[in-house]
Amino acid sequence: MEKCDYKNGMLPECAPLALAYTPMQQCSEPAYDGKMALARGTLFPGLDLPFMNMVNKPDNLSTPLCELMVLDFVVQELKLYLDTHADDCEAFKMLQECIRMSNEGRKRYAELYGPITIRDMENAATYDWIDAPWPWQHQSGKGD
Amino acid sequence: MFVYEKKLQYPVRIKNTNPALAKFIITQYGGPDGELGASLRYLSQRYAMPYPELAAVLTDIGTEELGHLEMIGAIVYQLTRNMTPEQIRKAGFDTYFVDHTAGIYPQFASGTPWTAATIAVKGDVITDLSEDMAAEQKARTTYDNILRLSDDPDVNDVIRFLRAREVVHYQRFGEALRLATEKMDQKNVYAVNPAFDK
Repeated sequence: MEKCDYKNGMLPECAPLALAYTPMQQCSEPAYDGKMALARGTLFPGLDLPFMNMVNKPDNLSTPLCELMVLDFVVQELKLYLDTHADDCEAFKMLQECIRMSNEGRKRYAELYGPITIRDMENAATYDWIDAPWPWQHQSGKGD
Repeated sequence: MFVYEKKLQYPVRIKNTNPALAKFIITQYGGPDGELGASLRYLSQRYAMPYPELAAVLTDIGTEELGHLEMIGAIVYQLTRNMTPEQIRKAGFDTYFVDHTAGIYPQFASGTPWTAATIAVKGDVITDLSEDMAAEQKARTTYDNILRLSDDPDVNDVIRFLRAREVVHYQRFGEALRLATEKMDQKNVYAVNPAFDK
């Protein structure tokens, strides 16, 4: 069976009445690079359907904290994709690679700017888990 | 069990105080189609979900919605940071302020407190997944409406991100419904409810 392009998915030729059908996403490719994915709110160009065609630019996502958000966002997108496409080996490999990069990135970030999770406190000199800014506070500096 | 990460999913960096925007954006915190309801809907529906991969979808999307709740809280917090009584009166934020000062309270834009009456847990696989698909569309429409009303680029940047997530979640719930019905009686998917009838 011929595959649809990335903006479309397959539906059965005959399908039972009285049931809603969503086409399955065919493949985890094409995918945006991480920073573009975070800016657009999805890793997958086929699911990128913006309101009034206005989109965010990735220019403001270059801080150390944003770099971590980028990696974790790709992990999240691949996780949700794999929940319904568990047999996609390519996507699973990509997920594992992104998890590795995220773990390394988080470790580096925690050493420079403070912990992301309590587990980052293992080798910290002081108990800086309690330090501001908390995520909603946004202050310049502090890597965000 | 949940573990807190001391970061947002997407940056919220709002420069200007603007309680007039906070007044309606609060609806995505505790309104009828807001992020609190979204997270509790999916995380509560999990228990009656007989298919493990679909319990994963509900868990993973429900958990992400908790992160979105935090982002909406951050938007409202930053929009009301350092506001003056003059700004509060002028923005019509006085009716919220008098009850909550600058605290973040889960309520509709109209002031009605968050209520579980806005979510459903029916304990039926097809019904709950259909509810979830509708819920993602209702949240998407609310974000469209916020984009129509807001003129702050810092706010709209975050709202566009959150809106895009609704579209992705809709796709995943649609796929989940496909996977669920493929496991059911192909001659009559309504013959039994696999969440109850063993």
